[in-house]
Amino acid sequence: MIRRDGQIGKELPKGRSLWSDGLRRLRRHRLAMVCLGVIAVYVVLTGLIYLDELSKWDTPVTRWDEEVGGAYEPPSAKNIFGTDFLGRSVFRKTLYGARVSITVAFWASVVSLGVGVPLGAIAGYFRGVADEIIVWVYTTLSSIPYILLILAFALVLKDKTINLKWAKLGIIELGGIATVYLAIGLTSWVGICRLIRGEVIKHKNREYVLAAKSYGCGNGRIIFRHLIPNVFHLVIISFSLRFVSFIQAEVILSFLGLGEKDRPSWGAMIDQARLELPRGHWWEMTAATAAIFFISLALNIFGDALRDSLDPKLRIQ
Amino acid sequence: MTAYIIRRLLYTIPIVFGVMLVTFVLFNVVQGDVTDLIAGKAASVETREEIRAEYGWDKPLFLSWDSQFVNHLKNSATFNFGRSWSDREPIIEKIKRGAGPSLSLTVPMFLGTLVVSISLALLVAFVRGTIGDVVVVLVCVAGMSIPFLSFILFGQYFLGFKWGLFPVYFWPDLSTPQYVALPVLIGIAAGLGGNLRFYRTVMLDEIRSDYVRTAFAKGLTARRVLFKHVLKNAMIPIITQVVLAIPFLFLGSLLLERFFGIPGLGYLMIDAIGARDFQVISAMTYIGAILFVVFNLITDVCYSLVDPRITFD
Amino acid sequence: MRFFGVVIAALVVFIAGCDNSRPTSDSNEVVTYSAYAAKVRGLDPGDIGDTTSSAVASQIFECLYQYHYLKRPYELIPQLAEDMPQVSEDGLRYTIKIKKGVYFADDRCFEGGKGRELKAGDFVFAWKRIANIKYLSKNWWIFDNRIVGLDEFREYTKTVKKGEEVDYSRVMEGLQTPDDNTLVINLKKPLPQIVYLLAHLPTAAIAKEAVDYYGKDIINHPVGTGPFKLKVWHRGSYIELVKNPGFRAEYYPSQGAPSDVEKGYLADAGKRIPMIDRVLMVLVQEDPPRWFLFLQGKIDASGIPKDNFNEAIDQKGVLTAEMRERNINLLVFRDPSTYWLGFNMEDEVLGRNKPLRQAISSAVDREKYIHLFTNDRGEVAYGFIPPLMKDYDPGIRDFAPTGYDPEKARRLVKEAEKVHGGKLPRLTLSLAGTDAVARQQGDFYKRCFREAGLDIEIDYMDWPTFQNRIKSKSAQIFQLGWIADYPDAENFLQLFYSKNASPGPNNFNYSNPEFDRIYERASIMPDSAERIELYRRAERIVVEDCPAVFLLHGVAYVLQHDWIFNYKPHAFGYGLTKYRRIDSVRRSSYKELLRGIK
Repeated sequence: MIRRDGQIGKELPKGRSLWSDGLRRLRRHRLAMVCLGVIAVYVVLTGLIYLDELSKWDTPVTRWDEEVGGAYEPPSAKNIFGTDFLGRSVFRKTLYGARVSITVAFWASVVSLGVGVPLGAIAGYFRGVADEIIVWVYTTLSSIPYILLILAFALVLKDKTINLKWAKLGIIELGGIATVYLAIGLTSWVGICRLIRGEVIKHKNREYVLAAKSYGCGNGRIIFRHLIPNVFHLVIISFSLRFVSFIQAEVILSFLGLGEKDRPSWGAMIDQARLELPRGHWWEMTAATAAIFFISLALNIFGDALRDSLDPKLRIQ
Repeated sequence: MTAYIIRRLLYTIPIVFGVMLVTFVLFNVVQGDVTDLIAGKAASVETREEIRAEYGWDKPLFLSWDSQFVNHLKNSATFNFGRSWSDREPIIEKIKRGAGPSLSLTVPMFLGTLVVSISLALLVAFVRGTIGDVVVVLVCVAGMSIPFLSFILFGQYFLGFKWGLFPVYFWPDLSTPQYVALPVLIGIAAGLGGNLRFYRTVMLDEIRSDYVRTAFAKGLTARRVLFKHVLKNAMIPIITQVVLAIPFLFLGSLLLERFFGIPGLGYLMIDAIGARDFQVISAMTYIGAILFVVFNLITDVCYSLVDPRITFD
Repeated sequence: MRFFGVVIAALVVFIAGCDNSRPTSDSNEVVTYSAYAAKVRGLDPGDIGDTTSSAVASQIFECLYQYHYLKRPYELIPQLAEDMPQVSEDGLRYTIKIKKGVYFADDRCFEGGKGRELKAGDFVFAWKRIANIKYLSKNWWIFDNRIVGLDEFREYTKTVKKGEEVDYSRVMEGLQTPDDNTLVINLKKPLPQIVYLLAHLPTAAIAKEAVDYYGKDIINHPVGTGPFKLKVWHRGSYIELVKNPGFRAEYYPSQGAPSDVEKGYLADAGKRIPMIDRVLMVLVQEDPPRWFLFLQGKIDASGIPKDNFNEAIDQKGVLTAEMRERNINLLVFRDPSTYWLGFNMEDEVLGRNKPLRQAISSAVDREKYIHLFTNDRGEVAYGFIPPLMKDYDPGIRDFAPTGYDPEKARRLVKEAEKVHGGKLPRLTLSLAGTDAVARQQGDFYKRCFREAGLDIEIDYMDWPTFQNRIKSKSAQIFQLGWIADYPDAENFLQLFYSKNASPGPNNFNYSNPEFDRIYERASIMPDSAERIELYRRAERIVVEDCPAVFLLHGVAYVLQHDWIFNYKPHAFGYGLTKYRRIDSVRRSSYKELLRGIK
């Protein structure tokens, strides 16, 4: 671009990569930044809870099982969200519920990324037989309705032990919540896989890949050091939107009795509401719903903003 | 084009096989022999053998003409799912019985959602770009963020019990529209956020295209443009959505059926979980998948009939 | 726009056409409605063991004897028998005459579809079937080691390969039918409770034709001689019974307890029963909708869910104004029941670790449980004989050192670890119920156990699955209870008799030779002070061994609308729907009553 006052050659604006351009635009989107803040709050909260448990600080807030009042006390100055049927603080339970939801979403993401990205890359890059097989697997899986697949996985994996002695990891027992991670993760990798595969196919014949090949880069290196980083922005966008569905899936599984049993979770709290609402005790359900509402809202808005900012068609020139 | 149809048809075969394989791996390999669960530790050897023989677990998994896998393929193809171990009823009977109530819930819900979302999407298209649009988007996202469970609980309590506008629960003497009305309403309300957003996006994408600009330039009214042109062209992605959603109609809505006592397939599945009835879940998984495959096939074939550019890849 | 019109038209047509079969109501029919909270497992009396299935099956099947509906103390009268049994001098031979003119309900398992007349052989067949080991009946305890030749018959069935091949016509000395209307029972030793047992649902008459025709499916196809027959069983949704048109002439009792006249229980004396044409029972597994349905007048009677207790009963323990303005009545009565957390004594961890069991017993806060889950409608239990029975030991409370004491629980856990030889593994508690109340109970127990330093996992499942688990000895700790089948504490003692281990009613698989000895002695004695002493001694042995944490004895609160009559609480009453009367006019005016209130 040439500046109008005739100074050619100087002060050419720096070339912006998709990332830095996108981030710049994102930072300008104030609502999205607020949402990012909200998300950060939840994540930090989860981190603090873990820290508290591992280091045994035992801050009062994490003692969700403590009896702080009579049963079913409405919100008051002492207990902001009131108490549940065993006299436990609903506020503490709500905070603790974040730990469950964020952890589920995190592990489910790890599983689906861990399976979906490599498989998608392999399918897209090598094509041929590997591609046919992988496409066949995920078409099959995606034919099965989501809810059913999750239920099936959760039910079957419940109380199973995996023998990982060969990997020197001993025997891992799958508790209630671990099955949830696996079940949700194993049903969600298909979307990521498809996405990655599609992008890798598009990028395969671009110059930078041909260049890499021409100077002898191994296939593995090409895939992991070049292709994946270039398509990763799509993964991030997809994730911010998927996170919401992971949290909602956990709510449903909790409700059906297949989720976290030992600790409070938002799904279990809403489940209790069935008995409480007709009695006029609205606070436990409202607290849990509000907690889910805010993180979902934040993730949705942020995800949308992220997609808009990383959309090459909308780049500022 | 015929070549396309034939190849597409052939492609369903490995998929159906794949589905049978998945259900087999999940329920026969990973889950395996649940004789202990059914008969218990105290059962005699004969009882256990009887159970094993009935469910076929005494046969080898893969490598024989009479293996579990082969039998599984045969049974799946003929929709013979055996008897539920908890109450001895043939599973296919349970499924047939549950399909009706589920459909009576999901079909009105689906049609209602369609009508309401599309109409609202068109209306919203009028106010695009204004602050009203932003508000609408926020409301939609808000609606998508409230858990479905909350919609159900609030709806059942206020609309059903407190204000007495609808029956709170299934009752054999009620006619279907009566006991289905409240859950259908709740289902539409809960899904409105996501659906409205989707259809709004579809409409807006169309509106941004060149032919619309031309129409406006020609001087057509907004109303004419929207109804005569945009709607028609938007129909393609909408129809795709619609046809692909049909298989899900059969599954009923798990949560709605449970809370309102509607004896459909969703309630069947929830009961199966409580009773650890793997065969029922396995059968439902298989049927759900087959329905999906069939409707996918229909959609693709319809597309190819309409758009000659499509080839099989 | 046309598009929308088409869609809406399709919707309307679709909904209208979507009417799957449901009961059509005839306006002259008398119907009673009720709701049940747990799924019915099966309607085959031989293998019945839960109250819900019994409540349904008892309207369809009949036994030799039944309890008089109104007289108190409880008295047995003939049902299918002609008269009370003739007993021999030594108490070992019972001769019973069977009523003539009793027919099984019409069913396609019979020739020509017409039910045939009842004969003595139907009882013999029913009881031999229970003895058949392949049948896996949980009610074998009724006959175990009691009737001459029946145990040998059971041994014989062990040798047969398949259940269907058992030869029921094998002659047996203990059960004879000199003619079609006479039944002779030869006992091995005196059995004072035998007449009670002959009034117990599992001993009902069964038609062999039905068993042969339906095979394993018989749990879905009950064929009985009773006042009602099964019309529709929409599994998991509702059950519909209709009056059995071929039911013989039976009449409402004309005598009763002294206060029955003023309470109105004798208003229908001498009328022909049943007075109801149709019984509709809807499965509603969640408390809130059941309560709503009751308040709306859709069901005739209901218990009070714990979360709605305050709406119905006020601080002083009487009906609230809200209930009274709806003309709802309250019935309160003690249940002959005991509820507990049972241990599977065959479990490796629990069975040989008494300190652990005692620790758990000290860890559970019974009073809190009663308060939270029954609204104080119960009394803390220290033993298993309920206060309603005259054999109840008022001193058991002092003898039992197992009240709530978290300090003591923690100490006992340390001892338990020593016995176990290391840290205790995670325990599993099985709960029958997947609804929100079950979750709350689970949370409550988790907290109690955690306070004592024990790691526990709760397993929720539905009622039929729970029963299977108990029957198959797969549950480690389970929450259950027992309501007496007849007014003799022996009915509770037999729950701890070693020979009654699963699939029998001894769910604890408890075995103590001294207890067994006392039980065997007491069970053949007629009622006496000496017997009461033996019962109490046996109870103390059990309490000492701690095979269960005894929680509470129940008190029942039942609410009923003013259009249902003849609803007298009966501790052992099943099959009482035939006595009830419904005033349909009053029921139809309830809606207006509600409108008036609002």
